[in-house]
Amino acid sequence: MALMQKGRQQLLAFGSLAALVMVFGFLRPDTFLTTENLIGILQATTVTGVLGIAATFVIVTSGIDLSIGVLMTFTAVMAGLFLARLGWPLSVGIPATLLMGAAAGCTSGLVITRLRVAPFIATLGMMMVLKGLSLIITGARPIYFSEVEGYEDISTGSMLGQWLPGLPVPNGVVIYLLVALVASLLLNRTALGRYAQALGSNEEAVRLSGIDVGRWKVIIYALGGGVCAIAGLLGSSRLNSAQPALGQGYELEAISAVVIGGTSLAGGSGTILGSVIGAFIMSVLVNGLRIMSVADEWQLLLTGIIIIIAVYVDRLRQT
Amino acid sequence: MAANRRHFVMALALALGLSGTVPAADQRTFIPLIARGFQHQFWQSVKKGAEQAAQDYKVTISFEAPEAEWMVDKQIDMLAAGLARRPGAIGLAATDSQAVIPLLRKAKAAKVPVVAFDSGVSGDLTATTVMTDNAAAAGLAADKLAALLGDAGDVLLLAHDQVSTTGVLRRDGFLDQMRKAHPKIRVIEVQYAADPLKAAEVARAMVQAHPRAKGLFCTNEATALGAGKAMKEIRKSGLVVVGFDSGKGQKDLINEGVMAGAITQNPVGIGYKTVEAAVKLSRGEGVPKVIDTGYFWYDKSSMRDPRIAPLLYD
Amino acid sequence: MQPMDVLLSASGLDKAFPGVVALRDARFELRAGEVHALMGENGAGKSTLVKILAGVHRRDAGEVLLAGQAVDIDGPAEAQALGISIIHQELQLMPHLTAAQNVFIGREPSRFGWLDERRLNRDAAELFQRIHLDIDPTTPVGTMTVARQQMVEIAKALSRASRVLVMDEPTSALNDLEIAELFKVIDKLRSEGVGIIYISHRMDEIQRIADRITVMRDGGTVGTMPASTPLPQVIALMVGRELAATRSPVPDSSDAAPALEVKGLSRGRLVRDVSFAVKRGEIVAFAGLMGAGRTEVMRTLFGADRAESGEIFVHGKQIRVRGPVDAVAAGIGYLPEDRKHHGLATGMDVESNITLPSLSRCLRAGLLIDRQACAEMATRFVERLRIRTPSNHQIARLLSGGNQQKVVIAKWLARECDVLIFDEPTRGIDVGAKAEIYSLLAALAAEGRAIIVVSSELPEILQLGHRILVMCEGRIAGELPGEHATQETIMALATAWH
Repeated sequence: MALMQKGRQQLLAFGSLAALVMVFGFLRPDTFLTTENLIGILQATTVTGVLGIAATFVIVTSGIDLSIGVLMTFTAVMAGLFLARLGWPLSVGIPATLLMGAAAGCTSGLVITRLRVAPFIATLGMMMVLKGLSLIITGARPIYFSEVEGYEDISTGSMLGQWLPGLPVPNGVVIYLLVALVASLLLNRTALGRYAQALGSNEEAVRLSGIDVGRWKVIIYALGGGVCAIAGLLGSSRLNSAQPALGQGYELEAISAVVIGGTSLAGGSGTILGSVIGAFIMSVLVNGLRIMSVADEWQLLLTGIIIIIAVYVDRLRQT
Repeated sequence: MAANRRHFVMALALALGLSGTVPAADQRTFIPLIARGFQHQFWQSVKKGAEQAAQDYKVTISFEAPEAEWMVDKQIDMLAAGLARRPGAIGLAATDSQAVIPLLRKAKAAKVPVVAFDSGVSGDLTATTVMTDNAAAAGLAADKLAALLGDAGDVLLLAHDQVSTTGVLRRDGFLDQMRKAHPKIRVIEVQYAADPLKAAEVARAMVQAHPRAKGLFCTNEATALGAGKAMKEIRKSGLVVVGFDSGKGQKDLINEGVMAGAITQNPVGIGYKTVEAAVKLSRGEGVPKVIDTGYFWYDKSSMRDPRIAPLLYD
Repeated sequence: MQPMDVLLSASGLDKAFPGVVALRDARFELRAGEVHALMGENGAGKSTLVKILAGVHRRDAGEVLLAGQAVDIDGPAEAQALGISIIHQELQLMPHLTAAQNVFIGREPSRFGWLDERRLNRDAAELFQRIHLDIDPTTPVGTMTVARQQMVEIAKALSRASRVLVMDEPTSALNDLEIAELFKVIDKLRSEGVGIIYISHRMDEIQRIADRITVMRDGGTVGTMPASTPLPQVIALMVGRELAATRSPVPDSSDAAPALEVKGLSRGRLVRDVSFAVKRGEIVAFAGLMGAGRTEVMRTLFGADRAESGEIFVHGKQIRVRGPVDAVAAGIGYLPEDRKHHGLATGMDVESNITLPSLSRCLRAGLLIDRQACAEMATRFVERLRIRTPSNHQIARLLSGGNQQKVVIAKWLARECDVLIFDEPTRGIDVGAKAEIYSLLAALAAEGRAIIVVSSELPEILQLGHRILVMCEGRIAGELPGEHATQETIMALATAWH
């Protein structure tokens, strides 16, 4: 029953995605449905998609993390510091960057559990702190990775394309899908995922089951931070630079993707697959509208309406 | 909320103005510069120029700006606070040239001269305007792009936003020049992107939608960086990309041949001239109504030209 | 023909909830100027009946006549418009607003679109005067005692020109003086012709204040009688059957160290210097009135609330309880009073709930959930406790109350806890499932587990407890051996505060 419900929810999201692709494919068959454009959509989804995965974990616990967009920037800046300024090799700098992301997430988690600050406020504060730190560390100037051998390839190179020349899928997309796969396993098959869902369903019941709620929450926020760092690496690799002014607003796009994918902000239920599909729905929509030369302001308006409809349909399905 | 805060700050500013100490004669003249942003490379260069002038003219300056260009109310708070400190003169790059008028009137009444920089404020409330002629600069971009395309073909325009003064002036300057001087060139689409990642997506989609387009003009550093990276990703050839401002990323793209060239302003000059004009005004000397700091085309070959190189930032 | 003074009469009321039939052909009649007590065990259908009258639930069948007119009570607003008000056990006041603001919430007097605060306070003062209540209308409700808040709630009901007033356990949080004050107000209302439906478990009170009693059992009305009817007769009607003697065998008394020993446990007003011990195989029942501190003792013992002082020993070894984590590690399991909010992750399935505290025992490589082990664990307890569920993946919310409770029990059995605390184990559970849970508790004790049962139902206490500890005002007021205790001896201890 539970499995069937989850399955139905994803089917609905997937159906919407397929419908969108078909509509745009029908309207613009020669420009929308090309390998190049589809790969472009995949590429466009990587950063918000990975952030969406980070957000899913937190939202499933019925928490919220508003700092993820800026956390992505902060980790990009840290990568710039480690790799470009300090000249660390990739094999050291990348794990260090992931650790920085986890540490930032861990800090949010500690503020929420130890200082008992509501997640909304705690992560809002964290967002400002991280933005400030990013600007301070960079002196408000981008850090370029021009001297870092191979950094650009993390996101834009295509290992898959080397094996299968007909399928030049960028590494960033492959990394995104791998992250999604691992995250899905974490959420469905591990104690961490089970506790995350239980926390979202009924935190007090979890506490009274003798589970260390605070510890698990901190772990979940830290995990979210680590995943944001992956987004930070992908984004900065794509621009070959860490842009300290970028990032704010990405958290809302990521949260929208999660919600469109059927995860409830009330917590308790949610799937990674749903969030991945949600992220794709967002980028297909935006890409399709752009291909049709719809003006920016109308794109915004339509995206907003789609988000509301998606959540409304999901509600209908639940009741 | 914002309005309340603004009132509060204005009241506070007035209170401070009344009770604050008048700087003694031997103290350095204080000149606050209130910009539209500080996170952008461009502003960092303006600041550098302003600091240089402050050193040369032995005055104290401050350089402040709201976090984002649209935060009109924050800028007004800063302006009010600056005024309250009894400055010798004020430098202002207004985010909203209408919203600042009441405070500029107050400045005028208090005989504090105001130097507008980077973008002007209409009327006679400011003593002078130090800026790039953005429309003419974008017109130069249009000329250069047209020349590179043999004066014919379809081109795309990627602007950084649809409301800010520079965004509008550069977009319209480019469109006007194309219409007037290059009638065989059609600007077939205008889109907007606020940050480089978004610019990459938008540029890809535009090129996808118009495979026959031959040229692309990006109106600032962020759009140029994102669009250039996107063109590199899809290995798009036969599309001439022209940018605006500099920055290491954009310069690399020009060196790699992904972009044909870009227009640079003279941001250091803007900062320097602003402080210079402010100093002169505070001493009662006259300055011209408009101080144009100029703009220049650069490409791979001219990047190291001694006249160009100092204007480019990393 | 209805007698003239009948204010409200309901007949043939049916109401079913998923898994439970709450009302079956219930009848009720209220006269004007009468205090009519509604009595019955928990789950007998009293609150469902009252909620139908107040428009909270819709009846499935039956009719309600108000002053001889058939009425259809669609929602709480409609009930209020008809003059039916209910004062819930949990007061519905906004603590930050003043007494007057609370009374007139949603109906604030206004002048030219502005709130007329002065008239608000004047009207409230008049109303308080009417029930001889000495309250300043401008006092924030949050700063008042519970008794005063209750009076404000009554004033609020009266301000809507109520003809029928329902009071659900109004005295549960009041002391004797406050109760006397409340009864004076009730007398005043009675003399004004208001009909009052009074729900209470406290027999002494009912005999003091009520005119008639209607007894409910298993969703139906057993009978209506004068309040002077002798108590044993009323109780016999309420219970309706000889409760089967499923008491488990007397525990082994040779066991040296008790399974659980608590010494001097204290926390605030409701846990004061509490000491007791439970042996293996023993069921200790905690009795007491509402607000006597029974649940608070259990929560403190389990670490859900932090103890201020006291020592806890499990099998003779002292443990430090800083939180439920420590209690569970020591083998203590707690079934909270509020199953839905504290006991179950209602949005998750049966298997996830059963395995929640023991998840760390079915992991592979310390991380991956061993699905087979989980499924086996869940199936074992679903079968053993005869949990009626279509599958292990049924969402817990969709189970009936009795089966939900069994899932909570299964959770602790799976964790191999040998000290089990049951707080109101049969609340909201229908009679059949109750009997099943009673025999389950007896069986668990027979297996050598130490069991604590907290219950508000005296028959339950009498049936289950080998020993009965009676609490009063946060202290253990006395201990009774299970086989010799009676409702009267328990009540005597429970009310021994004066």
